[in-house]
Amino acid sequence: MSRETATSRFVVPEFGSAGKLWVGFLAAVVLVGVAAWAYQLTTGLVVTGMRNVFSWGLYIMMFVLFVGLSAGGLIISSAPKFFHSHRYEGFARLGVLVSLACITVAGLLILPDIGRPERLYQFFTSPDFRSPMVWDFGIVILYGALNLWYLWLLTRRDLAARGSRLALGVEDTDAGRERDRTLMFWTAAVALPTAVALHSVTGWIFATQIGRGDWFSPLVAPVFIAKALVSGLGLLLVVSILVSRFTRFSVDREELTSLGKVLGIFLAFHVVYLLAAERLPHAWADHFGFWAITESFLIGESAYFWLWTVVGGAVPLVMLALPSFRKRVSVIFTASALAVFGTTFEGVRLVFTGYDAANIDAAPGISVGGEYAGVTTDIWASAGSYTPTLVEIAVTAGVIAIGALIVTLGLRYVPIQAEPESTAVATDGGETRREDR
Amino acid sequence: MTNYGLVIDQERCIGCHACAVTCKQENNVGLGQYWNRVLTEGGDKMDTPAGTYPENGEDGTLEMSYQPTACQHCDNAPCVKVCPVNATYTREDGIVEIDYDKCIGCRYCMAACPYNARVFNWDEPQTVPEDGTGDVPARPQGVVEKCTFCSHRVEEGLDPACVVNCPADARIFGDLDNEESTVSKYIKKYQTTRLLEDRGTDPKTYYIRGEMSPGRPQTSDKMESELDDVSVWSEPKDNGPVEESGGSGGGGSHGSLSNDALPHVPAFEGGDD
Repeated sequence: MSRETATSRFVVPEFGSAGKLWVGFLAAVVLVGVAAWAYQLTTGLVVTGMRNVFSWGLYIMMFVLFVGLSAGGLIISSAPKFFHSHRYEGFARLGVLVSLACITVAGLLILPDIGRPERLYQFFTSPDFRSPMVWDFGIVILYGALNLWYLWLLTRRDLAARGSRLALGVEDTDAGRERDRTLMFWTAAVALPTAVALHSVTGWIFATQIGRGDWFSPLVAPVFIAKALVSGLGLLLVVSILVSRFTRFSVDREELTSLGKVLGIFLAFHVVYLLAAERLPHAWADHFGFWAITESFLIGESAYFWLWTVVGGAVPLVMLALPSFRKRVSVIFTASALAVFGTTFEGVRLVFTGYDAANIDAAPGISVGGEYAGVTTDIWASAGSYTPTLVEIAVTAGVIAIGALIVTLGLRYVPIQAEPESTAVATDGGETRREDR
Repeated sequence: MTNYGLVIDQERCIGCHACAVTCKQENNVGLGQYWNRVLTEGGDKMDTPAGTYPENGEDGTLEMSYQPTACQHCDNAPCVKVCPVNATYTREDGIVEIDYDKCIGCRYCMAACPYNARVFNWDEPQTVPEDGTGDVPARPQGVVEKCTFCSHRVEEGLDPACVVNCPADARIFGDLDNEESTVSKYIKKYQTTRLLEDRGTDPKTYYIRGEMSPGRPQTSDKMESELDDVSVWSEPKDNGPVEESGGSGGGGSHGSLSNDALPHVPAFEGGDD
């Protein structure tokens, strides 16, 4: 039985000229990225800013960021489902779409970092299960598949109702919808621990390493979880507000404000509490006087620290804490964008703390490799330094554009706006929600 | 079981970089890369001491020593544990080696190695002459490489190139599991340290500091396990100077040098230098 009453709608019924321009722009960025990657493949990673001492760079920093970003949507849409609540229902589909895009970006960002991507099949033919990278490889693929499945599960009956081929033959029936609700519960039950595992395992890639400064800390995994909550929710809010501005997607103001408050709590837990918990023991053990301890506790070592804690932490936290302030959409948008921006620098800082100092730094140091011109004798470095090159930036931008394309096409071809059944007469219909749906 | 290890006597090391150079030649290590390097423990620059000159009638505090550094071939090697595709592995004989066919070039092992012993081929490695000078497999662009203890030599019963070509006999290679081997005896007898021991990597490279050892006993290219008669030097009598045995081992590859090199330094005297 096919039901004619729509319970959802496409927020972008078709691409207008602005939409086409946007898609064209993203496609162009992807093409530039692909060209840059092809150049890097033929010339070697010598075209990046990475060298022997500082051997991971922008790709890994952005991988860490996007793994975190992929958390928000899935958690916001699956946590209420798991507790049989209808809260934040309006964000559920968009959230999973954004998660899917982010985990795709994260996975793809690994490719350009690999020296010989054509050998990646070794992950299947010769895996070493001691390696956190194998765990992460598995969990990223599982998480990506789970997102894809979840998005399809959330929308397949609606797709079927519209005769979309994306329904893949599923039919829109009441019994089917009922069964899907049970499936959604179980998917949510799997999705939540998978999300926790994803961020922990990504943290453990670093936290297991005894050779790289502050990486070796049991706190890294919990910090990655907190970071994922902050940046993932931040991105979901940013995207929701943008999408509601530029498409027919509408957000529930009350839920938006409520999620803004949740973001404030995540920020307080992450940037204030976990950071303090991480820094205090070191500050205390390394210094003697009270003010010396306090200073070392409060004052960070690099610009990245300040970009993260103040611009991406304290400022949005204050914005979301002031009751009169935090109800404004512009405030929620700015605070969320800052939170995502700040989290970016947390990943950057993490990689830098691992590589900027060498454990054994006696002269002449470590041979950095690459670009030996035969002119200078200075092939040595006793500390790491890194600046991304244009090639790295172009490749990274290309991969991120793929994520933006996924979101854009999702808005066009997947009914992102779930609607209460009773008000589903007009396709641009109501703002009201039915709690018992 | 064989478990190869290396002892480097820093009291003997003269900082000549012969081990670093011969390593490059033997293994065709590309320009701009070193598997084995000689670090100066002292001042900020190579070959500079730390401390002050003896001025105004005061004693100087100038201090400098050399620390040749390559892959430490750890028993608990983090690089082996992190390699997602088993490209870096520990051989039966304890040598940590890379299968260049498997290496995907993710560089996780470089992050894992606390010694920065690994180098990555950021582009196609170049050597002079073009075909290189050593008889080892070529490594392509995009893989990680490092010291192999010259496993291609070890398999033929020869000591690693850096060991054979150390003019100060400061490098001794052998089987740590064999209590009769020189490395085992030196580790027992002399004060040794290992690099970054607190990281728990359990390296198989030991550094002698304090009292100088008699150094590598044989002048042959061959490993001591390949020599016919090891009793002469393996059981020195009452701390006397270690007797030369290179000729008797049948390893005449040093040619006329083996006779010139006969007396190494007196064994246990002058240990304060």
